Amino acid sequence: MGTKKYYLIFILILSAVTLVANIVSIGFKPNPAAVIAVVTGLCVLIALSVFLNYLSGTISSLEVISEKLKEGRPDELHMRGNAAIESLLDAIRQFSADSVQETRDMEKKTAEYKLELQLLTKEKENTEAIIYSIRDAVIVSDEYDRLVMANAAAEELFGFKKDPDVSISLEEFIDDNDFIELVRQNRQSRQCHVKHEVTFDGDQHQRTFDCIISCMKDNENQVSGVVAVLHDITREKEISRMKNDFVSHVSHELKTPLASINAYAEMLVDGEAEDQETITEFCTIIQSQAQRLNRLIEEILNISRIESGLVKVNKECLSVAIVVQEAVKMIESYAAEKNITVNLPAPIIHDQVNADKDMLSQVVINLLSNAVKYTEPGGNIKVDSEVNESDKIVHVTVTDTGVGIPPEDIEHVFDKFYRVEANKKYAKGTGLGLNLVQQIVETVHDGKVFVTSTIGEGSTFGFDMPLATSQVEETVK
Amino acid sequence: MSQRKALVVDDEIHIVQVVAIKLRNNGFDVRTAENGAVALELIKTEKPDVIVTDYQMPVMSGLEFIENLRGDPETADIPVIMLTARGFAIEDEKKEQLKIANCLSKPFSPREVLRCIEETLSTSSVT
Repeated sequence: MGTKKYYLIFILILSAVTLVANIVSIGFKPNPAAVIAVVTGLCVLIALSVFLNYLSGTISSLEVISEKLKEGRPDELHMRGNAAIESLLDAIRQFSADSVQETRDMEKKTAEYKLELQLLTKEKENTEAIIYSIRDAVIVSDEYDRLVMANAAAEELFGFKKDPDVSISLEEFIDDNDFIELVRQNRQSRQCHVKHEVTFDGDQHQRTFDCIISCMKDNENQVSGVVAVLHDITREKEISRMKNDFVSHVSHELKTPLASINAYAEMLVDGEAEDQETITEFCTIIQSQAQRLNRLIEEILNISRIESGLVKVNKECLSVAIVVQEAVKMIESYAAEKNITVNLPAPIIHDQVNADKDMLSQVVINLLSNAVKYTEPGGNIKVDSEVNESDKIVHVTVTDTGVGIPPEDIEHVFDKFYRVEANKKYAKGTGLGLNLVQQIVETVHDGKVFVTSTIGEGSTFGFDMPLATSQVEETVK
Repeated sequence: MSQRKALVVDDEIHIVQVVAIKLRNNGFDVRTAENGAVALELIKTEKPDVIVTDYQMPVMSGLEFIENLRGDPETADIPVIMLTARGFAIEDEKKEQLKIANCLSKPFSPREVLRCIEETLSTSSVT
């Protein structure tokens, strides 16, 4: 490009000189003014040419700069000879360098933000996973009472499946206006950690929950939503009710013999017993009631000891049939009072078990005593004991012709303090007898209790206990 | 003045016996029953002046028994004293509704039972 410029200037000067020479050679005597005009014109032409050439060069340089900038290579911009262009280039280079730095800073920040976003996403997922895995139901609503989040327990409780990307009003998901109103009231009152007890009607039974509702607040202390955490306390309530029942029953059971002791002692003090025979009678009653009280306390303590593993067990090899026979003898007078017949099993020879005799006796007595309690006068009780060689167990059953147990109560009869509501009128009790049977058979002797019953026809309670031989074999193995 | 009649209802034979002795020794003609249902049958033939009944009994509880009494105009006004071994007292509202003159907790004092009966009978005879 530079060579072209000089050619052009050279041609122009040459043309001017040739023109002047030709004019002079043809004898033309120029008017000095005309010559000056021509020379001036030529000079202007030359100057114009030089200027155009300069302009052309500048434009070319700008084109090169433009190309380099387009290609993102500002560092390769090196042009000399044109101060303006060089100044421009310096400015562009500075600007470019600044831009590059800014871009790099932004890229760095973007990378940091991406990482932060990834961490936050991971953290959010972890938090959601934690909330989802919580057994308590967790429900989050926004300031417009729209459901924002619900964990698996909440979905199971209210029977819905929430789309995580859709926020719909609580009413759409939860078919319990009282609960929704509770959430709404808490949001409006802006309260935190307010505890309520709420109940929901389930498919089979009512469930009770401790519900803690808290308002979420944003940076400007405005309520942005509500978190409700529902902890199922149905079981705790049931246990509490059973404990209350137990206290009530035990109180009754303890106070009844105590009442007799107290009353007869007072009668003796007041001289209400007129003769020696009556005095002896009163003293005998006091003694028997004190023993009754002691038995009851022992029963409660026995269960407690077995449960806590503190009971002293004296296992020995003994015949179940003999224990059963002794227990039947002990219960016969009680059964006779109600005109109930007790049929004994045929003696079995090889029915040895490794058991604590007193405990095993307690098991059979409790089963027989229950059979008598819940059998109408004139009924019948049958005790069976048989050996199952293949399973290596002794199978003992006590079958009565009593009132029977409703199907819904069957699975609970061995529960501590449980009493069949429909049968309470037939006999008093603490609800501890069958639980003691279960503890002795299963916890102490590795056996198994069972029960079958038909209302109005009677019940069969029993237990399986491992034969002593099978226990020896297991020990040898 | 005719002998005052008392009915003692409890499924605990020793409790029935001790209250009966105390009342007989103090001039009462005493009848006994083992539960509310038996007591209701007894009352049909012999109306007592006062009844002492246990709260928790098989077949028919003390409360059921009193509800039956109050439902019959013939027996609605018989004063009743309740013995209870339950861990909590009977609500005042229930006591008032069933016109239970007094509730005594087990273990009780036979002297206290007698005092309550005398007080109840003197109040009811005045009214």
